[in-house]
Amino acid sequence: MSMAPAAVQAGRRTAPRPPAMMIARRAVNRLTLPVLLLLPALIIIAGLVGYPLVRTVYLSFTDTGLGELIYGGSTWVGLENFREVFADEHLRASLVNTVVFGTACVVGTMVLGFAVALLLNQRLKGNLFFGVAVLLPWAVPALAASAIWKWLFDARYGFVNWALVNLGFEGFADYAWFAGRWSAFVAIFITVVWQSFPFVALALLAGLQTIPKEMLQAAAVDGAGAWQRFRLVTLPLLRPIVAVLVIFSTIWDFKIFDQIYVMAAGVPDRSADTAAVAAYREGFALSHYGLGSAVAVVLFLILLAFSLVYVKLIGREGELG
Amino acid sequence: MRRFGLAVAALLATVVAACGGDDNNAPADKASTGGKLEGSISVWIMDPGSPKIQGVVNQYGKDFEAANPGTKVDIQFVPWAQAHDKFVTAIAGGKVPDVAEMGTTWTPEFADQGALLEQPGIGDGEYVSSLVDAATLNEKVYGKPWYAGARSLIYRKDMLEKAGVEPPKTWDEMTAAAKAIKEKNKGVYPVGFTGLSEHMYLPTIWQAGGEIATQEGDTWKSALNSPQAAEAIDWYSSFYKEGYVPKAAVGWEEPDAQTAFINGDVAMLIAGGWGYNSIIATKPELEEKIGTALTPTGPSGKGTAFAGGSHLVQFTESGNHELGAAFIDFMLQPDQLNKFTGEIGFLPGTTAGIEASGYLEDPQRKPFAEQLLKASAVYPPSPKWGGLEGANIFDGQIQKVMKGEQAAQDAVAELATKMDEEFAG
Repeated sequence: MSMAPAAVQAGRRTAPRPPAMMIARRAVNRLTLPVLLLLPALIIIAGLVGYPLVRTVYLSFTDTGLGELIYGGSTWVGLENFREVFADEHLRASLVNTVVFGTACVVGTMVLGFAVALLLNQRLKGNLFFGVAVLLPWAVPALAASAIWKWLFDARYGFVNWALVNLGFEGFADYAWFAGRWSAFVAIFITVVWQSFPFVALALLAGLQTIPKEMLQAAAVDGAGAWQRFRLVTLPLLRPIVAVLVIFSTIWDFKIFDQIYVMAAGVPDRSADTAAVAAYREGFALSHYGLGSAVAVVLFLILLAFSLVYVKLIGREGELG
Repeated sequence: MRRFGLAVAALLATVVAACGGDDNNAPADKASTGGKLEGSISVWIMDPGSPKIQGVVNQYGKDFEAANPGTKVDIQFVPWAQAHDKFVTAIAGGKVPDVAEMGTTWTPEFADQGALLEQPGIGDGEYVSSLVDAATLNEKVYGKPWYAGARSLIYRKDMLEKAGVEPPKTWDEMTAAAKAIKEKNKGVYPVGFTGLSEHMYLPTIWQAGGEIATQEGDTWKSALNSPQAAEAIDWYSSFYKEGYVPKAAVGWEEPDAQTAFINGDVAMLIAGGWGYNSIIATKPELEEKIGTALTPTGPSGKGTAFAGGSHLVQFTESGNHELGAAFIDFMLQPDQLNKFTGEIGFLPGTTAGIEASGYLEDPQRKPFAEQLLKASAVYPPSPKWGGLEGANIFDGQIQKVMKGEQAAQDAVAELATKMDEEFAG
């Protein structure tokens, strides 16, 4: 990007100054092609992202129900829906769940992803096989994975309880994972992390392989131990990749839907619902489209805030580098 | 440029002419289709969960197509658990089926949205009357009763014998039987009372002598904030608290409890004739081990169960009302109807169908028929009821009581408030 203006200026200095008309026409010509090329993508983005976003924000300020959605005639209620989002015990809890559980999932995914990437980077026997095997959870559709894990955690017939009992934890005979909020979150956490670490691991592995061996060897010669080499050489070099992965993971884990929809449906008082599921249920089960949209808008704003913070952080990294 | 303009003008002229032609022909078209049926309809039927019953329904489509050449019936099966959401999405998106099976408690809700077509020609005594009531909104009927049923008690004879108890006839006997079964059958839970089955726990309120809601003019008012309702929820939850119900059942839906019964993990279950049929179909060797009885009676002396069932409805936005109506009438002919209800374990929704069913002569199935005809009631036919059900507002509170996190009296008081909010909104 920074090269282009320099080249243009250089060209201008050598050539004779063209008349103003010519400059204007050339500028238009220069702009027409990029705009034309971008247009199809812009139209699709405006239609598929822009319109739903604008419409959801609009709905969140109205009292739209099913009837109003079909025949129109909803009324503007201002910030009433947003007041309700924070006043309603269940909706407020779902926002807290989103932030706390989402953050836990991001941390879990990053830690496991890093560990697996470092292992795969060790050039051990059979690493190609493990590299492919690690990808498999990522290839399973989230809905199918949730159903499978729900069975694995089944109270009487699940593998998890069977294994725990056989390992000597007798208390897990008929243990009902989804009968309580915290145990349900443990089961869902494992499912989410299991599904999202492969992407993180492979992206980090790619990053690890770009680090010149000489640098690590030099550090070793200078007397740095394994942990110091990781902390002082590897981690700083991977920081841009890590930052991007954290943003992606945050966005994915905060708007998590499938796993919660399938696995948390029976948790007492729906106390393990996240904002995405709560918005869906408020809209489609109760026909409170206005309130459901308000939940979605709040979730959107939370994600926007997190993303802006991260983008700021990356920007600073770039300047320092 | 001028040539281009001419071309556009010519094109526009053609389009206008075509439109005009359409307009002129439309009424004539409508009039001419009166005699002969044509076109295609899409039909949504709730998934009965058995390939055999799906076959019966698919056969309706084939037989109807054969009887009416030039018609096409496209049948899709929708799982009950997703059906309410799916209807809402379909109506909101304008992509409705032409004919659908609809749970009786949803019909007033969707009729109130203007999504359903009024059904004319509902004669007196032709249909099961409580099901016609359930389809009625502002004195207009929006669905034709297809089938109906009420839940009764299903139990494992061998497990009750081992515990030395008779099938319970009252609440107290049920509690005592549960205690005995727990002691004598290792690894078996006496009862399959779950947290996500309002058709199991809400009727206990009737059995205790309470009401769920009462009509006040145009709107409904919750009647849950009563000692009877609290007593009912307390009794229902006591089984979970005592360990007579699997710990996981607080998050179970009815099919989960049925699976547990089939696996021999649960000895007594509140289930309908359809559940009975599906249990036998899954594990035929259970047939001789299973007994059936009326729902145990509560302190009021009543053993009232919920009369559930289905309507066949048509949507206003359907493109072929005439063919849809003809297909519904075809499905409701007594001999056609009994092919389905006999298989699925429900009673037909038409009086002629019930007479042809022979249900009352079968000892195993007789309790289900008696339950429906003599000891059953319907939930308030309010347009808001479907939304209340869809949002599971009851489940959360019942789960809290089951887990001992809230007293039953507080739970029903909170529920009454939530219900009144929904009725009013």
